[in-house]
Amino acid sequence: MNEFANEPLLELRRPELRCAALDALQALDARLPLRVPVLIGDGLQDGVSFDSVDPSAPSRVVAVAQATTAEQAVEAVACAERGHREWSAVPAQQRARVLQRAAGLLRDQRLELTALAVREAGKPWPEADADVCEAIDFLEYYSRGALLLDEGRGLLQLPGERNTMRYVARGVTAVIAPWNFPLAIGAGMVAAALATGNAAILKPAEQAPACAKAVVDALHAAGVPHDALALLPGGDEPGKALVADPRVHTIAFTGSCAAGLAILQRAATVVPGQRHIKKVIAEMGGKNCVIVDADADLDDAVPAVLRSAFGFAGQKCSAASRVLVHDAVAEAFLDRLTGAVASLRVGPADDFATDVPPVIDAASRDRLLALIERELPAAARVARAACPHADGYYVPPTVLAGLPATSAAVTDELFGPVLSVEAVPSVRHACEIVEAGPFALTGALFTRSPRTVDEVASRTPVGNFYVNRDTTGAMVGRQPFGGGRLSGTGPKAGGPDYLLQFVEARAMTENTVRHGLVL
Amino acid sequence: MATVTTETPDLQDGIRAIGLELSQRLLSSRPLSAAGVERRLTGAIMSDAQLRAALFRFVDVRPACRTPDELVRHLHELLEAAEGSPAARRLARAVGGASVRRPVAAAAGWGIGHMARRFIAGEDAAGALREIERLWRAGAATTIDLLGEATVTEDEADRYAARCEDTLRTLAAAAAHWPARPALERDSHGELPRVNLSVKVSALTPELRALAPERGIDGARPRLRRLLRIARDCGAHLHVDMESLDTRDATTRLLLQLLEEPEFAAGPSAGLVVQAYLVESPAHVDAILEWAARTRRAVPFTVRLVKGAYWDHELVEATQHGWPAPVFTDRRDCDRNYEALTRRLIDAASLVRPAIASHNVRSIAQACAYADAVGLPRHDLELQVLRGLGDDLQAAIAATGRRVRTYCPIGDLVAGMAYLVRRLLENTANDSFLAARACGADIATLLEAP
Repeated sequence: MNEFANEPLLELRRPELRCAALDALQALDARLPLRVPVLIGDGLQDGVSFDSVDPSAPSRVVAVAQATTAEQAVEAVACAERGHREWSAVPAQQRARVLQRAAGLLRDQRLELTALAVREAGKPWPEADADVCEAIDFLEYYSRGALLLDEGRGLLQLPGERNTMRYVARGVTAVIAPWNFPLAIGAGMVAAALATGNAAILKPAEQAPACAKAVVDALHAAGVPHDALALLPGGDEPGKALVADPRVHTIAFTGSCAAGLAILQRAATVVPGQRHIKKVIAEMGGKNCVIVDADADLDDAVPAVLRSAFGFAGQKCSAASRVLVHDAVAEAFLDRLTGAVASLRVGPADDFATDVPPVIDAASRDRLLALIERELPAAARVARAACPHADGYYVPPTVLAGLPATSAAVTDELFGPVLSVEAVPSVRHACEIVEAGPFALTGALFTRSPRTVDEVASRTPVGNFYVNRDTTGAMVGRQPFGGGRLSGTGPKAGGPDYLLQFVEARAMTENTVRHGLVL
Repeated sequence: MATVTTETPDLQDGIRAIGLELSQRLLSSRPLSAAGVERRLTGAIMSDAQLRAALFRFVDVRPACRTPDELVRHLHELLEAAEGSPAARRLARAVGGASVRRPVAAAAGWGIGHMARRFIAGEDAAGALREIERLWRAGAATTIDLLGEATVTEDEADRYAARCEDTLRTLAAAAAHWPARPALERDSHGELPRVNLSVKVSALTPELRALAPERGIDGARPRLRRLLRIARDCGAHLHVDMESLDTRDATTRLLLQLLEEPEFAAGPSAGLVVQAYLVESPAHVDAILEWAARTRRAVPFTVRLVKGAYWDHELVEATQHGWPAPVFTDRRDCDRNYEALTRRLIDAASLVRPAIASHNVRSIAQACAYADAVGLPRHDLELQVLRGLGDDLQAAIAATGRRVRTYCPIGDLVAGMAYLVRRLLENTANDSFLAARACGADIATLLEAP
């Protein structure tokens, strides 16, 4: 097995590749809407259906999915118990091959899947492509990691005893995935569970069931038994049923802080019939800050802040939503940032010229527009880009400077294209602000002083600290991703420790002494 | 890729003769003491990667330091961070004491200012006039490059365009009074403008996007059109620089489309750059030559051939994204491509004006020898060098009676640093011809075919 390397991104700066991407989009459009059934074992289920739509043009239905009921979720767990027995008995080497075969299948459909993410999640091309690549990366990375884990860990050996420790799958894993990385995050959590021998039940976000189905189809086609991997499209109902089910061992969740905390609480309640403590892996929100020091190169800082705050309309948990800029450069920084925001282009995700796509749905748009309206009067300075007069769920990228410290735009995760900028007297002061916050996911620092880098790095609580670059774009194997505090339970997705969350360690000691002789 | 032809032995003789002549003139040019010091410094920096990184980072941060204390703090920190370099550690201790802070700041500030002035002709057009005229009198034409911060807003793009406009007008007014220099202002095609400005499309719009070239083209078009008009009206040459590969398509299409507009049929003189380090550069030359053949402009289009200044950037970007390298990763491949493209452009000299921009004596000698061999009149080949790096080369070329043009950046210290760092890195890169020369490499070896 060759060494892990990140899947190369599409070189979309080449016009011929952009043409190919648009062709793939056209081919996909001709097939819409896609059907997304409930997939439990080998059977197809009947039920009520719901639509996922294109955020750039909501009249376009991307998928018609079946809404999983609580009863179906319970059935899926029963099926997954069988699937776990079957799949965990498959040698790790073979499981790795299956996952890598699935990666290959995704690779074969690169453009098609990218187009699907453009349509279903409203992701602009390069970010949709990165999503596909990351899904492939997770499959490749975790399959390799599971092989290492399968070798167990070395222990101290004394005469007369043989000590071994190995890792075994925990059991049934419920995966509750978000819509913002509709392929990658679901694929990553599922891949981690499957690579280590667990059965997985994927409950994707309501907004992106078709992307999830593409991942599940690839894994099934590659050889994952249907009992070991189920797909439960729908809203809260199947998710809640999974979290409450006594037979679920592990819950891997990525989403909002409120939902994550609710899952943690629910999972902690032991119900009749439950014979284990549930493990919850939760990746939640952030209020990610960029610190700009007086010696920062604004030529770098301004574009990086723009990309971090407004890429994919700020709908990434890693997105920057707060800038703390040193007084000495605050005015210059704001002049340039506000001017740059004005030239951002808001538009449909499928347009290569778009900088900022629509947000995911009408609820999100209405919430963000209302928030911006509320905060505007208190801001000392405001900049926003123009929005197209079209049907998409557009929210103007907005910079609000000098808001009071208690404003929602300053304290809350907004998950949209809204950025608060505050001037601070020193980097130390900025660090205190970051330390006082409830989140600790990503953060960036722009400075050219090695000592400032060391000082901030040593005290920042964030899980992913970036120096002189964007807060977004973590790569599997290079920037293991995840935060502390209320940002999550801490395992690093795409890092060397992640799989440990999906296994239990079993230690064994054999007495090798017989008749006083060491055998 | 172009087929790489091996030259005939008689061309090799010509290359050697021209190369040796240039080298002798370089050696006999009175070495300034500062140049000697710098050469030794270059040697020291080249052999100590950590010291080199620390010093370049210091040059880079210099404009952001508002007080002497800040300046010294950065210098000290950067030297201290160079853990593997004993020289940097010694320097760090030397500049660390509170008592020496002011003199160190003054010396460091002076050093960088001195260095910057070698590369940068002045703060603005008016301030650089004397130096530009001095070069003209000394037998070197110039092309002016306006340094500045990156353009991220429309205001910044307007300001850059206004500086370009001011530069064109200021230089045009002054150049009318310069003495005649026939070698610099006439070739077989006709008159060559005295005033020559190089502009960057990335500075003319904040909308350049690798994935949507039309956006950058639309954003920059009105400003570039205005500059072309001004250049036409004051008889200046407008050259469009090439930057990273991400912007090459937009840059090329923008200029070529504009020049096809009827109002520019009779002028101005204009040109573009081809970067020989790009594996695809032969196709870029094809496209430009096809365009030139199709449009047959009244004033022939100038093509400046450079090696390319964004090699690290292109390689890092490609590697981080998992793309094939768009640049030659082997210096000899790059040099061979440079020479092949040189010959293509010289072969097309009836259609375009070739400008060979290099500090590699072998590349220059190859261009001259080939041009001589195919019977190109001497004044139909232009050679270009960078101010600060190619000063002695400029003098040597001028002394051989060939046309040389010096690329002169103009701008303040803040704007100049990014430029300065790039040039310094280039100058001390291990595969640099200048660096090899600074280290005393044998000239015959340097003149061998790549």
